[in-house]
Amino acid sequence: MELTKILAAKRPLWQELDRLCAALANPIRRRSLPAETIIRFSSLYRAACADLALADAYHFPPETVRYLHQLVGRAHNQLYRAKSFDVRAWFVELFVVLPRRLAADRILWLAFALFFGVFLLSAFGGFVNPDFAREVVGADHLTGIESSFSDAPRGRDFTIDVGMAGFYVFNNATIGLRCFVFGLFWGVGGLYETMFNAIVLGAVFGHMAASENAKNFFEFVAGHSAFELTAVVLSAAAGMRLGFSLVFTQGYSRTDSLRLAGRLAMPMVGLAVLLFVGAAMIEAFVSPADVSPLLKASVGAGTAVMLAAYLILPRWLGDDAGERT
Amino acid sequence: MADVAEQLDTAVEIVTPENIAFRYALAGPFSRLRAYGIDLAIRLGAAIGLAIGAAATFGVIGLGGFGVGVTLAGWFVLAFFYGGVFEAYWNGQTPGKRLVGIRVLTIDGRPINGVQAVLRNILRMADMLPFLFAEVGLLGLYQVGLWTMISNGRFQRLGDLVCGTMVVVEERAAIAAVARFTAPQVLEIAAAIPPNYLPGRSLARALMAYVERRGQFSPQRRNELAQHLAEPLRGVLQLSADVPPDVLLCAAYQRWFGERVENQAASHAA
Repeated sequence: MELTKILAAKRPLWQELDRLCAALANPIRRRSLPAETIIRFSSLYRAACADLALADAYHFPPETVRYLHQLVGRAHNQLYRAKSFDVRAWFVELFVVLPRRLAADRILWLAFALFFGVFLLSAFGGFVNPDFAREVVGADHLTGIESSFSDAPRGRDFTIDVGMAGFYVFNNATIGLRCFVFGLFWGVGGLYETMFNAIVLGAVFGHMAASENAKNFFEFVAGHSAFELTAVVLSAAAGMRLGFSLVFTQGYSRTDSLRLAGRLAMPMVGLAVLLFVGAAMIEAFVSPADVSPLLKASVGAGTAVMLAAYLILPRWLGDDAGERT
Repeated sequence: MADVAEQLDTAVEIVTPENIAFRYALAGPFSRLRAYGIDLAIRLGAAIGLAIGAAATFGVIGLGGFGVGVTLAGWFVLAFFYGGVFEAYWNGQTPGKRLVGIRVLTIDGRPINGVQAVLRNILRMADMLPFLFAEVGLLGLYQVGLWTMISNGRFQRLGDLVCGTMVVVEERAAIAAVARFTAPQVLEIAAAIPPNYLPGRSLARALMAYVERRGQFSPQRRNELAQHLAEPLRGVLQLSADVPPDVLLCAAYQRWFGERVENQAASHAA
C-alpha cells in the first residue's frame, strides 16, 4: 500500500495550505497576496477535501485524519467568508420590506395598544390625583421633573446640547434594547418592561398636564415624542415577537421558530435604534431651543406624518415586495 | 466502538459544498469565558480611553459638552455593537476570540452575516442575567447563558439559538512526521512477514494508532501495550516467540504500509 510514500507526498501540500490559511487570516497580508496564490489556495483546499474523503480508504492514521479535519475546517472558513454589511440589502429591508410587514404585524398593534392603553390610564391617574404620580415616580424624582419645567425652554449653550444628545442616545436606546431583549423570555419580560415604561411616562405626562407648568412641558416634549414613543413600541413588539415564537411555534420546533422570529425581529430593532437616535437629536437640539412653540409642534407633527407615510405609502404604491418575507 | 466515541465527543459534523464532511470541536463555556474576558478588558480600556481622550481634546478647546456627547454615544456603541461589528468584519471573530482561537459560524457551518453578528451580541444582555448590580446593569453573572449552553447539543447561548449560530474551536495543529523504520531488526522481520497476508480494516487502524503514539511511551510500556495485538499476530504470521512485541508491530507496519524500496533493500541485506 505504501502509505508512508503517499503521506510523504501529501504532507508538503497540506503544510502549504496551512501556511496560506494563516496568511489569509491576517487582513493585511491577505490584501498583498497575488491572484495566483489565491487560485492555488482553492485548488489546495479541494485537494485536501479529497484527501479527507479518501482518508478512510487510504487507512490514514487517526492523528493525520484529525489534522485534516481541522485543516479543511480552517481553509473552509477562509474560503467562505462572512458577508459583513450589505448596505443595499439593509436599505431594501428597512424601506421596502419592513414597512409592508409592519402594517400587518398583529404583535406590533398589540404592543401599540398595550403601551398606549396603559399610558393613557396612567396619565389619567396622574392628571386627577397628584399622589398617583408621586407614588409611581417617587417624590424626589417628581420634584426634579417639576423644577426642570418651571421655566419655558428658551435655549442653552450649544455644547450642552451636544452632551445631552449623547446622553439621550445612550439612555433611551439602552432602554429600548432592554425592552427588546427581555421580551425573549416568553414575552413576559417585554410586557413588563413595556408596561413599566408606559406607567412611568403616563404618570409624568398626566401629572405635568395638571400642573401650572403644563405649557412648558408640552412645548418640550412635542417635538420628539412621535419618534421616541414609536421606537419604544417597536422594540417592545420585536421582543414580544421573539418571546411569543417560543409559545406559538406554528408547527416548527421551538428553536427553529425562535430563529425565524429572530430574523423578522432584527430589522424592527434596527428601525427602533434609528428612531431613538432621531428622537435624541430632536430632543437635544430642537426641544430646548429658543424657537416658537409652534415650530416645535410642527416638527412633532412632521415626524408623525413621516412615520404614518412610512407605514402606509409602500402598501399604497403596491407591488409584491412584501410577499418576499 | 467508534460510533460510541463520536457520540460522546463535543464535535459537530459539517458537510461542505465540496460534499466533504468534516468535524469541528465546539467551544465550551470556559474557552468562551476567556475570550469574553479579553474582550471585556478591551472594551473597558476603550471606554475609559474614549472618556479621557474626548474630555482632553474637547476640554482644551473649551467645548466640554462635545466631550460628554461623544463619550456617551461611544459607550452605547461599545456596549451593544463591539462584538457585532468585529464578528461581521473579522469573519466571526472578535479580538478575544481570535486570541483564544475560536470562531462563530452558523449551525450549518457557513460564515455568519452582519445581522446574525449584531443580533447575537445585542441578545447577550439576556444571557448575562442575573446582574450583580441590577440597578445599573453591571457585572452579568451569565447564569442564563451558561444553563442554556449546557442544555443543548451545540453549546449555544440564547443569542446563538435565536441567530442559529455556534462557536467552534479553530486550532492550528502540527502534523506528525511520517513514521519510518530503519532499524535493521525491524526491517529483517518485516521482510520475513509472508506476502499473502493483508491486514483488515480494524487491524490497519490499530497499527496506525499504535505507531503514531508509541513515541510517547517508555520501551517497557510499549511492549506491554503492543503485546495484546502482537500475540495473535505472531501466530498468524508464523514469527518466532523471541521477537519483542513492539518490534513485531513496527515490522508489520513497515511491511504493509512502508515504502517497498526499503523493503527490498532490507530483503537484499537479509
